[in-house]
Amino acid sequence: MSIFQYFAKRIGLYLVVLFIGLTITFFLPRLMPTNPIDGYISQIESRAGQSLRPEAIAALRSNLEELYGLKGDIFTQYVNYLNRVILHFDFGPSFTNYPEPVSDMIFRALPWTLGLLLVSTIVSWIIGNLIGLVAGYFHNKRSATVLEVVGILLYPIPYYILALTVILVLAYFLPVFPLSPTFPAEGLTFGNAGTILFNSALPAITLVLAGFGWNILSMKSLAYTTKEEPYVTYARLKGTSNWKRMTRYVFRNAMLPQVTALALSLGTIFNGALLTEMLFSYPGVGLLMRTAASSGDYNLLYGSITMSIIAVATAGLIIDLIYPLFDPRIRNR
Amino acid sequence: MIRLNNVVASYKTERGVVNAVDGVSLEIPDGCIVGIAGESGCGKSTLMKVIYGDIGFPLALASGSVDYGFSDDSGKPVTSRNIQKEWFKRISYVPQSSMSSLNPVIRIRKQFLDFQDQTGNKAQILEQVKSYVKKLGLPEESIDSYPHQLSGGMRQRIMIAMATFFQPEIILADEPTTALDVVVQKSILLLLMDLQEQMGNTIILVSHDMGVHYQVTDKMLIMYAAKAVEYGDSEEIFQRPLHPYTRLLINSLPTIGDDRAREGIPGRPPSLWNKLQGCRFADRCPLATDRCRNEEPEFVEYRPGHFAACHYADSEANLSEVS
Ligand SMILES: Nc1ncnc2c1ncn2[C@@H]1O[C@H](COP(=O)(O)OP(=O)(O)O)[C@@H](O)[C@H]1O
Ligand SMILES: [Mg+2]
Repeated sequence: MSIFQYFAKRIGLYLVVLFIGLTITFFLPRLMPTNPIDGYISQIESRAGQSLRPEAIAALRSNLEELYGLKGDIFTQYVNYLNRVILHFDFGPSFTNYPEPVSDMIFRALPWTLGLLLVSTIVSWIIGNLIGLVAGYFHNKRSATVLEVVGILLYPIPYYILALTVILVLAYFLPVFPLSPTFPAEGLTFGNAGTILFNSALPAITLVLAGFGWNILSMKSLAYTTKEEPYVTYARLKGTSNWKRMTRYVFRNAMLPQVTALALSLGTIFNGALLTEMLFSYPGVGLLMRTAASSGDYNLLYGSITMSIIAVATAGLIIDLIYPLFDPRIRNR
Repeated sequence: MIRLNNVVASYKTERGVVNAVDGVSLEIPDGCIVGIAGESGCGKSTLMKVIYGDIGFPLALASGSVDYGFSDDSGKPVTSRNIQKEWFKRISYVPQSSMSSLNPVIRIRKQFLDFQDQTGNKAQILEQVKSYVKKLGLPEESIDSYPHQLSGGMRQRIMIAMATFFQPEIILADEPTTALDVVVQKSILLLLMDLQEQMGNTIILVSHDMGVHYQVTDKMLIMYAAKAVEYGDSEEIFQRPLHPYTRLLINSLPTIGDDRAREGIPGRPPSLWNKLQGCRFADRCPLATDRCRNEEPEFVEYRPGHFAACHYADSEANLSEVS
């Protein structure tokens, strides 16, 4: 398999995943017994009393069907849906913020979520793996065992308990960070970057800690087994320094499965972000989804779900595409 | 001259402590190729670890010492306690498997420069490395490759290049060719012999293949159940072996024109966990007497430079009966 075949395979897989994801988000709501338009119309009817004539209701229904892509048989709807989503990134208008297009709302929220997730995931991966590396490499040293205990303690804690504990400790007992963060309405600018970072610290810390346990524990066992590989023993017998053996020999090899695992775990990271955004009223896609779900804003809900599928799949693809940088066995055959 | 003084090396395990090398004393003159032979589990690799100074849990040097016959930079004589500072400068080793002994994700070039206290101009050393690997019959570019891009024979040549680059006084090789096919094996052994002749260093070579010992070594050590049982010039040993075990090992060698399958030596070596008394080979020895079963034979110089541990090493019965 050449490097091109590797890329072609990954990109092909990516497209298949996207296609399946989009198809599922299209069909799932249509399998539900309730129709969003019925719900919307009955809402309007109850508000307007009996004053609406049947013709007006029929016209409204036809308009809504047009707007929400529910016209025609299911196959026509499906083709239209794919066409709109893939070519125009159009999910129609929002119910709650009518007539603002859902895609505008998502694009406003997306940088917040991506910024928080990317930074906390990368920080958690790097620090967690470094701690795990030291714990595994020096497994027979007592001080290194302490590092492993950090992982053992953090790993089983459910995310919401961890988050609440961090809030209690860092916002209540030691009020370092604000209990409820405030974010400037105009979004990220050069001037308010500091405020945003400060207010994002608490959610970021919870996400970093949540990722720690797994990163520490799996890197610890990877480093521990890699250390026994003949090439590490040979390097030791060659007189290679401890530092070089730990970094260039053990880490460079043990990190490979961790990179793959990162791509696989992105989905769960996204779940964590939903909870985080609710807990911290953080203005990202997660908060948008919650608003959409609680107010019955179908377009917004499916728009954000589709967007999350695309984001997670794309991040996974990017990791897959940079993986050959770390593994020459895939890069040069 | 390398001198082993009553070396006892033991492994600490959950079952207790076991002596994998149990009182070996030898003198190895400078500039020769010494072979170590014996069945699997008799302590060959452990003895190599001790000589290399790779002594760490679970292995311990229970007693005895190793002197290498040279001094370090500060003039102190080098023993197994401070030989580690000389690794790959004055003592080096060729590992068994070149595939698993090279880091798969970094270039050979970098692994070449990973030695301890690497000082000096990197580019300059790299030039020297390049011309050196060329001398060993490898393309210069091979050091820019990753291990998986080279063939097994080329990789083993790289291992030999690494082990000989600094022209160390001592080179240890523990079954350096077992992972290779026969043709490549031969060229690797010839390369080692060639380099040894040019540099005049001492090579200690472990192999379970008596044919290799016959072709390559100047001197031989035969081990059995953690003990040295015979040591001397290879030619002597092959022509006039003193120990019945050596004789059986040699007889297990196929000879040209003889297609009969050679059976191994019947029976198995005793477990080192048992309480061992007398000669450890007695149970399998065709000549064993009550004396052998009760009294441990000493390692004695029967002929000049030719040692053996057998009560009947020089008896006529031994010389005629086993062969
Ligand atoms: N790491 C170890 N821990 C415990 N026992 C060991 C270890 N390595 C080797 N041994 C034991 O020491 C004895 C000698 O082993 P070894 O030196 O590897 O023999 P050889 O190289 O001749 O096959 C064997 O009985 C083996 O079981
Ligand atoms: Mg061995």
